Amino acid sequence: MAYGNTLSALADPTRRRVFERLKDGPHAVADIARGLPVSRPAVSQHLKVLKEAGLVADRPEGTRRVYYIDPQGLGALRKWLDQFWDEALAAFQAEAERSAQGGGKDTQGRKHDK
Amino acid sequence: MTQTITIAPVRKTIQVKTSAAHAFEVFTAGLDRWWPKDHGIGKTPRKAVLMETRLGGRWYEVAEDGTQTNIGRIVAWEPPQRFVMSWDINSQWKPDTTVASEVEVRFIAEGANATRVELEHRKFERMGAEPGEKMRRDVDGGWPGLLEVFRAHVERA
Repeated sequence: MAYGNTLSALADPTRRRVFERLKDGPHAVADIARGLPVSRPAVSQHLKVLKEAGLVADRPEGTRRVYYIDPQGLGALRKWLDQFWDEALAAFQAEAERSAQGGGKDTQGRKHDK
Repeated sequence: MTQTITIAPVRKTIQVKTSAAHAFEVFTAGLDRWWPKDHGIGKTPRKAVLMETRLGGRWYEVAEDGTQTNIGRIVAWEPPQRFVMSWDINSQWKPDTTVASEVEVRFIAEGANATRVELEHRKFERMGAEPGEKMRRDVDGGWPGLLEVFRAHVERA
């Protein structure tokens, strides 16, 4: 479910720009809105969606709220790569051990038995 | 470019019942023998995934039609202990040498027929870096592409 939220939250180009504005650190809504072709309320709305998706978090700072990227939200990327390498390494392990034992099946003409 | 987004490296360790030399050899020169068929990046259908086993060498895919797609480049080459390669893939899961994350693989001998393989994929924040001004299609940059790949991957599983 979390991935679905992350995906849909970042699917919108403007929202992605809002998100990317936070890459260099926390910002208040007014800062984020500056330079973007959308109104401040629209930016607030985008931030709300990003927050619900777990991509940004906010905290009070004096009289205003600042928004910042929630590192946890980027966990989707990490999680995917995690699985990617798990699968790759399992395949590697199987091949390394199979070819090391020798004898067995086809090694595509590449024997490395020492 | 400030890069305050940092993402913890992915670290993996597996034990392989073979020598470090053999493990290193299979991982690198033998890449095509084990690399999962669905872990492709370039044009499909894929014919092979190969590594040029030297400093500066490429890790690349060859499609059935002969098209080559570079995945990365060897930046440290110390057989049979370790190698490091740049992983020149952006968050759209497309080749892009400007955003390289980095993969290090270490082969630690624990016996004549026992090797611990440690893999670390790091510097992901480079994948999310804002594209350089002279380059490309702005709004399509960013995380969504990779997340899309992720979703497709999960759903296929």
